[in-house]
Amino acid sequence: MAQFTIPERNASKEMRYQMGYALADLAHEFENIVAVDADLRSSSGLHIFEYFHPDKLIKMGIAEQNMITVSAGLSQEGFIPFPCTFDAFSRRFLDQLYISVAYAQTNVKVLGAYVGLFTGKAGATHQSDKELGVLLRVPNLRVIEPGFNVEMRQALRVAVETAGPFYLRIVRCEVEENEINADYQFQLGKGVTVIDEGNDVGLVSTGYMIRTAKIAADKLLNKGIGVRLDHHPSLKPFDTTLLYDLATKVKAIVTLENHCVSGGLFSLVAEALALKGVQVPVGAIGTDPEDFIHTGHVNDLLAHYKMTSDDVVAQAEAVLRLK
Amino acid sequence: MSNFLDPFNFEPFWQPYRKDTKRFQEVFPHQAAFPELVRQTETLAYLIRSYTVYSMTCAALGHPGGSFSEADFIAVMYNFILRFNPFDSKWNQRDVFYLSKCHACPALYAALALFGYFPLSDLTRYGAWDSHLESHPDSTTTPGIEISGGSLGQIPGVAVGRALGIRRHGPDEGDRMVYVLLGDGECNEGAVWEAFMAAGHYRLDNLVFIIDYNKVQAKGFVNTDMSIEPLAEKLAAFNLEPWEVNNGHNVAEIIDLFNTLHTQRRGKPTAVILNTVKGKKVSICQYNPNWHTSAPRETGMAQDWLWELWERDGQRLGIPEEFPVRLGKAITVVPPLHDNPDQIIEKQA
Repeated sequence: MAQFTIPERNASKEMRYQMGYALADLAHEFENIVAVDADLRSSSGLHIFEYFHPDKLIKMGIAEQNMITVSAGLSQEGFIPFPCTFDAFSRRFLDQLYISVAYAQTNVKVLGAYVGLFTGKAGATHQSDKELGVLLRVPNLRVIEPGFNVEMRQALRVAVETAGPFYLRIVRCEVEENEINADYQFQLGKGVTVIDEGNDVGLVSTGYMIRTAKIAADKLLNKGIGVRLDHHPSLKPFDTTLLYDLATKVKAIVTLENHCVSGGLFSLVAEALALKGVQVPVGAIGTDPEDFIHTGHVNDLLAHYKMTSDDVVAQAEAVLRLK
Repeated sequence: MSNFLDPFNFEPFWQPYRKDTKRFQEVFPHQAAFPELVRQTETLAYLIRSYTVYSMTCAALGHPGGSFSEADFIAVMYNFILRFNPFDSKWNQRDVFYLSKCHACPALYAALALFGYFPLSDLTRYGAWDSHLESHPDSTTTPGIEISGGSLGQIPGVAVGRALGIRRHGPDEGDRMVYVLLGDGECNEGAVWEAFMAAGHYRLDNLVFIIDYNKVQAKGFVNTDMSIEPLAEKLAAFNLEPWEVNNGHNVAEIIDLFNTLHTQRRGKPTAVILNTVKGKKVSICQYNPNWHTSAPRETGMAQDWLWELWERDGQRLGIPEEFPVRLGKAITVVPPLHDNPDQIIEKQA
């Protein structure tokens, strides 16, 4: 049995641990699910999967490239492999992902753990805020960034039930069980309108930043600024229909992502709007693409990169002035 | 022999050795059938080389050096070892053959066509726009290709996953095998050694790595660019069982080794060092890095290559003289489908 402490199912709201439980549950239902570990299981949450399915966790040692190609091979024999390591290390296996998974269209579901800033004091080598720049340009790859645990579980199920390559960005930190409503259902390629209370500013969030966006929306509404908040867990394919609907109704947009402001959500939005000739000013909340993210408490990182709800309010007011 | 007016009609002088390619059975040197198996496999290797010259020249693309060094081995695998069904390429009891040195796919494409995976005439459009024969193989379009590839060092890991997966299916698939043909220069890639380490760790004795040790890599000699010696010792240290084919162009030796390997599954993956000559059987290409990449640039040169192959092998194997002559005359460099208004001149490799 596992040598690590297994948190009680309901004891922790951390997405990594809930992911471990969710994958273990799915593996009872889908017998061909296997997880592939590169020596990070008690950090990524796979140790929980291992506790329930010790024979279905395949250990590759500290070898991320091999973890991905071995997963491709396993999928060719009908297994549904979930290779999992830190999202930052996608930098190490990008070519394997590009060719052995995406080009070959193998049924591999990559879990990128510890995404963005909410990772503990991970530091420049382990922080992942640039990776979407390439991941969103890998043909055939679907890229999902869930913002809360219900959405993460639903996205995992969609990944199992949909043939082909997936990449899911999973945060380490505590998240809410549900940020939207009890009827919410994640859909591949679809965004969702979370708040629809006025047409001044449109907030567009992905992943964990739905939390910050909701707090910022309250603050804006209290200031008398109308807000619509759209959440986009599906980054690839991206719901441009919802985006165009938003852009034709609001005066300005602010994007929020747990990633740098180039190559990720902001770029998706800006590119889509430019192609359609929609002239709406767009502000961007996220990290600086020119920076390595140095070690520090997450509060200090969020303050430095102006990623708090107060910063969102300030950005919203600034872009509204551009209109 | 008027059939030979058509150089794509090879059936009068070669057909698959096995009536049923879904079965493997040893043929030993002391058995009466052995000389015929050898002659027949050498004929296949001759055809693979000849059609490789044809397709590369039509495409103005290709890697003759590695295609020629592996030709005899690929002939043995498809003619004698691998269990497969060309008319049901996904047959779930097949052995898996991965070509990890993907750039040397012209020889594999020729073999697949000769066994009926797709029409031999498809070779004309190797590398052309809209063709299913990519410059580096695409498993989503070409029947018989087990996985897409081209960036070296990845497929050994895929093979480890495949062998693990087959083992997880249990005893009824115990006899299925995974074979991977790697390049020697490819062994410079660290990922190859990650795969070797995992194969040894998981004791995958349903997995055979074959290293086409032709001593030449893309731009130089393995020995001087980045040596992989001592190779057998390295493989053994990674918990693989090393075997050696002294001359990878001697089909009898390859056949004999694989007769033996069949009985040697003892909880270790197998690694076969296949000693070969890069560019084997075309003088200008032999042991010459300049012919790692580059198809013959004109049909006259391709016709000379075809003639040399016939003089070395075709003649003694009973192939009529008309065959290389007519195959050479059938070569036309396939033009692009579109004109370009900007007059871009591209000289292809």
